[in-house]
Amino acid sequence: MSTKNNLTIAEKTAKLDELVAWFDTDDFEIERALSIFAEAEKLAHEIEHDLQALKNNIEIVKIRFSETE
Amino acid sequence: MENATTPRFSVSDFIATFNQTLEYAYPGIEVEGEVASFKVNQGKYVFFDLKDADGSVSCFMTVWQLRVPVEDGMKVIVTATPKLTVWGKFSLTVRAIRPSGEGSLKKSFELLRAKLEKEGLFALERKRLLPRLPHQVAVVSSVQAAGYADFIKILGDRWGGLELRVAQVQVQGTGASDQIIEALKYFNSREDLPDVIVLIRGGGSADDLSVFNDELLVREIAMSRVPTLVGVGHENDVSLADMVADVRAATPSNAAQILVPDKRELIRNVRRQVGVLLSRMERVIDRQREGMRHHLSTAITAIDRRVDQRERQLAGLMRVLAELDPHKVLARGYALVRGEMKVGTMIEIEKSDILVQAEVHHVNKK
Repeated sequence: MSTKNNLTIAEKTAKLDELVAWFDTDDFEIERALSIFAEAEKLAHEIEHDLQALKNNIEIVKIRFSETE
Repeated sequence: MENATTPRFSVSDFIATFNQTLEYAYPGIEVEGEVASFKVNQGKYVFFDLKDADGSVSCFMTVWQLRVPVEDGMKVIVTATPKLTVWGKFSLTVRAIRPSGEGSLKKSFELLRAKLEKEGLFALERKRLLPRLPHQVAVVSSVQAAGYADFIKILGDRWGGLELRVAQVQVQGTGASDQIIEALKYFNSREDLPDVIVLIRGGGSADDLSVFNDELLVREIAMSRVPTLVGVGHENDVSLADMVADVRAATPSNAAQILVPDKRELIRNVRRQVGVLLSRMERVIDRQREGMRHHLSTAITAIDRRVDQRERQLAGLMRVLAELDPHKVLARGYALVRGEMKVGTMIEIEKSDILVQAEVHHVNKK
C-alpha cells in the first residue's frame, strides 16, 4: 500500500508520530520547530489524501465450491 | 389366471427394479420427524427410526455423515433416498441430517458445544490476534446476501487499499457447510496465504444459521492456518463457528469494524496532532514573547531608576548652585563692589536693584 513518496500510510503515520514527539524532547528549538511543524503539516495532508484516494479491490474467486461436494 | 403382461422378477431383480423406481420418483427427499432408537454400530453405522404420531420409518447412515449430535426425542430433517434392502426391509438411506425446531436445534447445539469445549476448541489460548492492518483479505460468503453488502460497504467507508478475494458460497441450506469448508480449504492451501479469512452471513432463522453449527465446519475453522474472523447473524445469535473463530464479530458490519481502522478517525487524529502542535507552538511563542517583555520591563525599570537617581543628584546640585547665586546674596541686601579700593578711584557698587558709581574717599584697614 505504498503511496506518495513511496512510504506506506503506516510509515507516514509513524513518521508523523516521531515529528510530534520531537516537540516534547530537549532538542526543541523554536527555529527548528517551525520547519518541523511545516513538515508535520505536509505529512498530515499527505496521509489524509492517501487515505481518501485508496479504494478496495474485490475479486470473486472463479471456483464453484458447490462442485467440490 | 395370471395376465401375460404381469411382470415377473427374481427377488433380487425385484429389489433392484423397485429401488430404481424409487430413485427415479424420489431422487432426493427431505423427511421431518422425531428420532427414536438411535444407535451407532461398530463405531461406523448409524441406525434410528424417524417417526411422527401416525408412522415410523427406519433410517440408516454412516457416522461420517453425522455432522451434528443427534439423540432420541430430537426433531430432525433428513435428506435421504428411500431404499429397499436386500433383506426386504424398507429404509431411508440418509445423506444429511439436521435438527429441526427450536428445541432440537438448541439441544444439538448444546451437545456439540459441550463436546468441542471438552476438546479445548474454544479455549482462549487458541485464539490468535488478527493483523492490525490486513492487506490480503479472504471473504467467505454469499455475494447476494445483505450481510455481505453491509460488510463491503462499511469496509469501503472505513479503509482502502485492501485486496479482497471472495469465495461465493451458499450460506444456508443443504450443502452450505460443505461449500464453506471447501472455501476455507481453498484459502488455506494457497501459496499466497491471505492475512485473514472472514466468514460472514446476515441474520436468519435458527434453522438457516444451523449451517454454522456443523461439526466439520467448526473443526475446519479451528484448523485454519490463517486467522479467522466470523460474523454470523445478528448480535444475539451465537454459533459454534463464532465460538471457534479467532475473533467473533456480532454482525457482518461489526466484522468490517473489527477488521480495519476507520480512516475518518485516523484523519481526525492526524488533524488533531497537527492542531496540538500549532497551539503548542503558539504557547512557546507566547512564552518567549512574555519573557522578552519581562526583560524589557526590567530594563526600563532600571533605566527609570537611574534617571531618577540622576535627577535627584541634579536637583541637589541645583540647590547648591542656587545657594551660590550672587543675585540671591544681593537680594538679601548685600552689595557687590567692583574696582580698585584706592582713594580717588571710581568703583561700581551693585545692589539687587541698582548700580551705583562712586568715588573712594577713604580706605582704612580693619
